[in-house]
Amino acid sequence: MTDRRIGVYICYCGGNISDYVEVEKVRVAISRDPGVVVAKTTMFACSDAAQEEMIEDIKTNKLDGLVVASCSPKLHLFTFRAVAERAGLNPYQYVQVNLREQDSWAHQHDKDQATEKGIRLVRAGIAKCALTEPLSTMRIKTAPRVLIIGAGVAGLRAALSLSDMGLSVFVIEKEAEIGGWVGKFGSMFPNDRKGIDLIGTLAGEAGQRDNIKIFTSSELIEKGGSIGDFSVVIQVEGKEKISLNVGTVIVATGFDSYRLTEGEFGYGLDGVITLPDFKMMLDKSNGSLAFNGRKIKDIAYIYCVGSRQPREMENPNLYCSRYCCTAAVHTSLEVGKKDKSIHQFHLYRDMRTYGKYELLYNSALNNGSVFIKYADDDFPKVERAGDKVHIKVKDLLSHGEEFDIEVDLLILVTGMIPRKNNKLADVLKLPIGMDGFFNEIHPKLRPVETVIDGVFIAGASQGPKTLAESVTSSMAAVSKSAALLMKGYVDLEPLIAKIDPERCVWCDECTKACPYGAIEKVSADGKEVARIIPSLCKGGGTCVPLCPQDAIDVEGYTDVQITAMIDSLIKEVK
Amino acid sequence: MTRVDSKFIDEIKTSESFNASACMNCGVCTAVCPMGLDILPRQLFRYVIIGVEDRVLENQETIFSCLMCKMCEQNCPAGVNITENVRTLRTYISRKVFGLLRN
Repeated sequence: MTDRRIGVYICYCGGNISDYVEVEKVRVAISRDPGVVVAKTTMFACSDAAQEEMIEDIKTNKLDGLVVASCSPKLHLFTFRAVAERAGLNPYQYVQVNLREQDSWAHQHDKDQATEKGIRLVRAGIAKCALTEPLSTMRIKTAPRVLIIGAGVAGLRAALSLSDMGLSVFVIEKEAEIGGWVGKFGSMFPNDRKGIDLIGTLAGEAGQRDNIKIFTSSELIEKGGSIGDFSVVIQVEGKEKISLNVGTVIVATGFDSYRLTEGEFGYGLDGVITLPDFKMMLDKSNGSLAFNGRKIKDIAYIYCVGSRQPREMENPNLYCSRYCCTAAVHTSLEVGKKDKSIHQFHLYRDMRTYGKYELLYNSALNNGSVFIKYADDDFPKVERAGDKVHIKVKDLLSHGEEFDIEVDLLILVTGMIPRKNNKLADVLKLPIGMDGFFNEIHPKLRPVETVIDGVFIAGASQGPKTLAESVTSSMAAVSKSAALLMKGYVDLEPLIAKIDPERCVWCDECTKACPYGAIEKVSADGKEVARIIPSLCKGGGTCVPLCPQDAIDVEGYTDVQITAMIDSLIKEVK
Repeated sequence: MTRVDSKFIDEIKTSESFNASACMNCGVCTAVCPMGLDILPRQLFRYVIIGVEDRVLENQETIFSCLMCKMCEQNCPAGVNITENVRTLRTYISRKVFGLLRN
């Protein structure tokens, strides 16, 4: 038995739940459960009127637990936590039962069973609620400083924006020069602005700001602390070590260009080069184009080199690099500006010049570029004969007829690959996705946040991007950082692991299992035990089942709570 | 295997009246052709765009069989000037193959 006073509200969800679950029956079944003082049904539990009613009930009946059986906690957990708080009840004594996604929507074919499952789920929620304890969030003061890793276009742009908001910025760059890839390029799409000029403007501006400090030839070697209060150590030119205290970290380490193996699409033959190499050659050329002393009259481009590779390949890059089609089309327009008489053949799989970049494609089409579509399982073949490069390609728009194109220069349109940053990923404990780029939590809902709170990713470090997209993502990382740091503090969830030092014998199993490095060894009462670092623990619970002493529990999901829930779930319903 | 001859592209380009870059190979032109000239116009124009003179010359008869009825042109969703393009090809063949129409 329990002396708790719990209020239970079962939501119709306007038919979403009540069409398949007999809500009234659920209410009757659970109304006499231990601890239940109030049991009501409601049309929309999330409505203002229902929330007010709950607050009134909590106050009048002096409730010390609240259960709402409605939709997914993803949608309304915080809504009802706030209801509890407004009524003077600790928000962590609120339990949400998911009757919609886990019951009504899942069992539309069998209403009786759905109702029975509903009763069990609500019972389990009540059993858990009866064992809840008041918890409080942890408030951490934030340092108004940001560390940006990578001084390419994304990093520099982020630095300037953060500086505009009055935050101090430290930018570290692995290379001796800042600017990244953009800093090496001349005219770029869509507005023909030179990459070198763009970086020059950003770097010049950053140089004038007192609150931006850039370190070149530098690496991050240590990271401690947690969101809002990181302590990091950077190594400058392999020697000097500098310790900094920063509130957030933005990773903008960029990308690498795909590196071909000898013989791939004729790579290694005289007259076969990659797009980045050709772009640099084009930027430097004055007037007519020549390669190895020979005047260029015909050019071919092969697209999707190193991107969207066949699955049968060893470690294939399955992703589309997004920027290469547009970059190649833009390059061909630049070629046209230098010499109109050059013939250009584009051998593509799918033309992905999306959005406004399609205008560039149209312009290339109207300026005489020839586009030939090849099949994704039948790649063009390249060989050298005399002083020409021969490409044999089957044109899908000519019913697969094979053509032999003879050119002076073949340009392989290579995509982006993840930059090798194992050391950095290790120091920051950043997760890496299937494609090898840094992983965000959700590409649409939380596109620049990582599972490490306070560490954001921006630019092409998280996947192939155009210049504009890169800057957009860096701005998103800036707004996330600034929102956090300018408030001055951050509240952390208390639903984290706790260790019973009496039981702990320090076997080290839990530290090995924790992906966040949130467990440390301490001495307590003359023996070594594990301790949770609250600001790093995410409450994932990986450590719990591994502990041979059963010394770990996760707040809000303790062993006794889970056991009580299971007992309730298997109780006889009728 | 058909060889691409970029000189052919230049020769057609100099006429400036041939333009099929908007063609998206949908095939409406072929479907509505009252003569049932199945290589006309999309496949033929594709040869011209890529620069395969051999294939164009192989299809002289088809090129001269066109009625110039503009049925295809009326129905072309991409607005390609099909009739004008066919006329350009006829001029090209008359000059190149039959030695007519010298400047």
